[in-house]
Amino acid sequence: MALLDAQTLARLQGVKLRARAVMEGVLSGLHKSPHQGQSVEFAEHKEYAPGDELRHLDWKAYGKFDRYYVKRYEHETNLRSVLVVDASASMGYRSGELSKLEVATTLAGALCYLLVRQQDAAGLALMTDGRIQDVPPRASAGHLNVLLDSLERATPSGGTNLLAAANHLAEVLPRRSSVVVLSDFLDENQEALKRILALRQRKNDVSVFHLVDPAELTFPFDDPTLFLDMEGEGRIEVNPREIKESYLEEFGAFLASVKSACAEADVDYELVRTDERMDEVLLRYLAKRGRRR
Amino acid sequence: MLLGALAALIPLLVHLFDRRRPRPHPFGPLAFVLRSQKRTASRLKLKRLLLYALRTLILLALPVALARPELRRDAEAAQVVKGPAATAIVLDASLSMRWSDGTSLFERGREEARDALSDLRPEEPATVLVCTGEPSAPPPPGFDRGRLRALIDEAKPTYAAAELSRCLDIAARALEESPLEGKRLVVVSDLTVGALRLESPPPTVKGPKGEPVRPEVVLRDAADGKESLPNHALVDLKVEPALQAGPRAFQFTFTVKNFGEEALRDLEAAVRVEGTTLGKGFLEVPANGTAQKSLTVRFDQGGTVTGEVVLTPDGLAEDDRRAFVLNVPRVLKALVVNGAPHATRYRDEAFFLEAALTAPGSPVQVSVRDAAAGWREDFGGYDLVYLLNVTAPEAAEAERLRAFVEGGGGLFLSMGDQVDPDAYNARLGELLPRPLRLVRTSVERDDPNAEEKAAKLARVEVEHPLFTPFTGRAEEGLTGARFYRYMLLEADRAEAEGASQVLATYEDGAPAVAVAKRGKGRVALLTSTVDRDWSDLAIRTSFLPLMQRFSAYLTGSLDEREEQRVRVGETVTLRPEGAQGVSAVKGPDGKEVPLKTQPDGSMEVGPLEQPGTFTVLDNEGKPVRTMAFAAMLDAVESDLSRLPQEALAAHFGEETVKASAADAERPPVPLWTWLIVAAAVAFFCEGLLLRK
Repeated sequence: MALLDAQTLARLQGVKLRARAVMEGVLSGLHKSPHQGQSVEFAEHKEYAPGDELRHLDWKAYGKFDRYYVKRYEHETNLRSVLVVDASASMGYRSGELSKLEVATTLAGALCYLLVRQQDAAGLALMTDGRIQDVPPRASAGHLNVLLDSLERATPSGGTNLLAAANHLAEVLPRRSSVVVLSDFLDENQEALKRILALRQRKNDVSVFHLVDPAELTFPFDDPTLFLDMEGEGRIEVNPREIKESYLEEFGAFLASVKSACAEADVDYELVRTDERMDEVLLRYLAKRGRRR
Repeated sequence: MLLGALAALIPLLVHLFDRRRPRPHPFGPLAFVLRSQKRTASRLKLKRLLLYALRTLILLALPVALARPELRRDAEAAQVVKGPAATAIVLDASLSMRWSDGTSLFERGREEARDALSDLRPEEPATVLVCTGEPSAPPPPGFDRGRLRALIDEAKPTYAAAELSRCLDIAARALEESPLEGKRLVVVSDLTVGALRLESPPPTVKGPKGEPVRPEVVLRDAADGKESLPNHALVDLKVEPALQAGPRAFQFTFTVKNFGEEALRDLEAAVRVEGTTLGKGFLEVPANGTAQKSLTVRFDQGGTVTGEVVLTPDGLAEDDRRAFVLNVPRVLKALVVNGAPHATRYRDEAFFLEAALTAPGSPVQVSVRDAAAGWREDFGGYDLVYLLNVTAPEAAEAERLRAFVEGGGGLFLSMGDQVDPDAYNARLGELLPRPLRLVRTSVERDDPNAEEKAAKLARVEVEHPLFTPFTGRAEEGLTGARFYRYMLLEADRAEAEGASQVLATYEDGAPAVAVAKRGKGRVALLTSTVDRDWSDLAIRTSFLPLMQRFSAYLTGSLDEREEQRVRVGETVTLRPEGAQGVSAVKGPDGKEVPLKTQPDGSMEVGPLEQPGTFTVLDNEGKPVRTMAFAAMLDAVESDLSRLPQEALAAHFGEETVKASAADAERPPVPLWTWLIVAAAVAFFCEGLLLRK
């Protein structure tokens, strides 16, 4: 499992490899798959209505009851998941081996693997340069490549626009879908997080992966530094030692506010440090979700 | 070295020129950095200012400290620093130095004196004079500091008023023995109004040519510059018989003075005898004012009583109490031998006398007998015998009477028709103050002009205890009396035991009252009657007190009531009577007091060093209670008002007096050590600020 630390993963070029490595780590960590039996097993009968597929008519039932019944299978109620990945410029920040975006795309890729493996439909909404690149959810195995290619091509650029992503998802996403948001939430628009979390009110299952760099958490700067804004023209010259205490207070309060907002909205929240082992992050996440079922 | 102080500019120069280029760093959560900077901006500004100040202080303090600067506290002091001077330290040991607020002024003064001694330069000779009520010349100035320190350590405050001016003169004389030209007097005192006589000339020493020169005077204030030393004191005490309250009642009148700036309320005043409080009262004394309080105390038994009156104690507790010795009259038994009794009371010979002696408040118990019964009485059971117009006794009775008087009894004789001069002279001649001659009639009572022609008293010895109350208007009570007939007396007989004393005479010079001592007893003779037969004295206002005074005088208690008002520091003269001897006098602390016998037989005791009751011991070492006496403090020392600085400067001379002499001769304070400490503290604070 030493393969899965941030340093090792960083050596693997491309999301596909990293995501696969993570996915395998996750699968080996699961003692019992919670997804077994969710394939094409019979679920129930439904009286035929025009428009139903004729191939699902249960002829045996017709012989017994002289009425048309349509067989319904489990796979038809499978999950529709959309992974929202923030690819704004701030996600490109790294103080160690991996940037926040690289971690986000790796986690998203691994989740895609898992979803497709259990025949769930996985889609992608990539926020980059202020726009949304949308890959609609599909459950086919071939769709995985499309998803992974999109993640591979993601580069940090532009400002964070969670509001636009939330609005987009609200329009296109049917109810009872699963939405997984991977972002650093450094969006100046205070409404954006609320709108994302509001998706939960539409019966969607929303999960949040909050990505932070260790340097953002500890502010380990000593010398006078000119800090440059990664999403705009802002710059500020400070002596980091003088403001460190205050910065840590402010940033801690920000993390706490995001976490408490998620808790209030009944949204799964996972704080992800970019130097963490990603399989552990996913296992933690899946275990938490397992407990919720 | 001081050029190094320019280093203080370094922080400023660093601030101006050290503009290092900051490293650019793209950072996602820039908004938080910005917010943090805004939040901490004002605090950071203050911190930077503090850092700048501290660094400047460090860089300024170090080079200045290396220049070893010193602090001279007083510019004036710097001017008077001269060459070496012979020094006399005069330590005030007067009563006022006993004032205490936890630590007595004397203790502080002693500490000041020690400091003064240690502040002297090694080449300066010194001497110490402890200024008491009777100061003696100090040793000549020398270099034996140990001996002088021992002198200071052994010094004790006295109870007397000390004349600091006189002590300074004595110390100045001692300084003249030093060949050094410089002379210095260090005065350690509370500098109260009683300490110095500012009207007397300031101390001088002889200059090189014999001319008087003012020495340098250094004042060291034992009161640490306190503006006032609040004090109240019992400045006067009067003890008088309060006959209206009983024969053994006395009125104690306290006079309390408040020397403080605040009025005193509910100040307790009490009379105590042998630890028991017999009377207690409360006073209110205005600020800088006086108040009186009278307490009447009744004693159960007669005799000599020693006690004290006390006030609520203050900083100077010694002047809040005063001892007293009081002779409380004992019950006197008097035998009145009535030579001319009469059925009509007011015509009875003894009527007026009996009424006078038994008046309320009188300590006399009277037994009246006629002549026959009187002579049969045992005189030993009486203190006094009154013979009123009695015929001369038989020889045996006369002998018994003589023995009674010589044994200490009192005898009063008044004349009348029953008195035969020759028989009296024959039988009682040894007792009579003077022999009787014959009866002289100035006018017959029934004469129409009797009032004018009657004899009157012309001369009365009002200084004598017997007649002390009859001064001023009271004298009229005596001089207004008319004497129609009286006995003339012979001159003193040569063979008589003791000379008689005529205390009152008529207009013609004939004695009216004569007294004499016979053995241990006393005899008084009134040459007229105590009823209205020969005079109208009996119905005069003076009669009652006069007769009571006779009984007191004849039993000796009148003398004993004379209060000895002795102050601490004074001597007292004791006059033992007869064969009574005095072997020693002990003070309140039990130590013997110097005693000197005078050529006239009197004893001079003292000088008395402390207040309180002094006990007189006879030849057998037993206390003679009747001779005990009390010494009191001089009220001058109770006034603790401080002498103003200007007055002191005017007295000793502006150029010599140092306002705070304690500072003047002290070596300059090395300022550089403080600078080093300041730099170290600044360095520490800078470190703390940087870590924040």
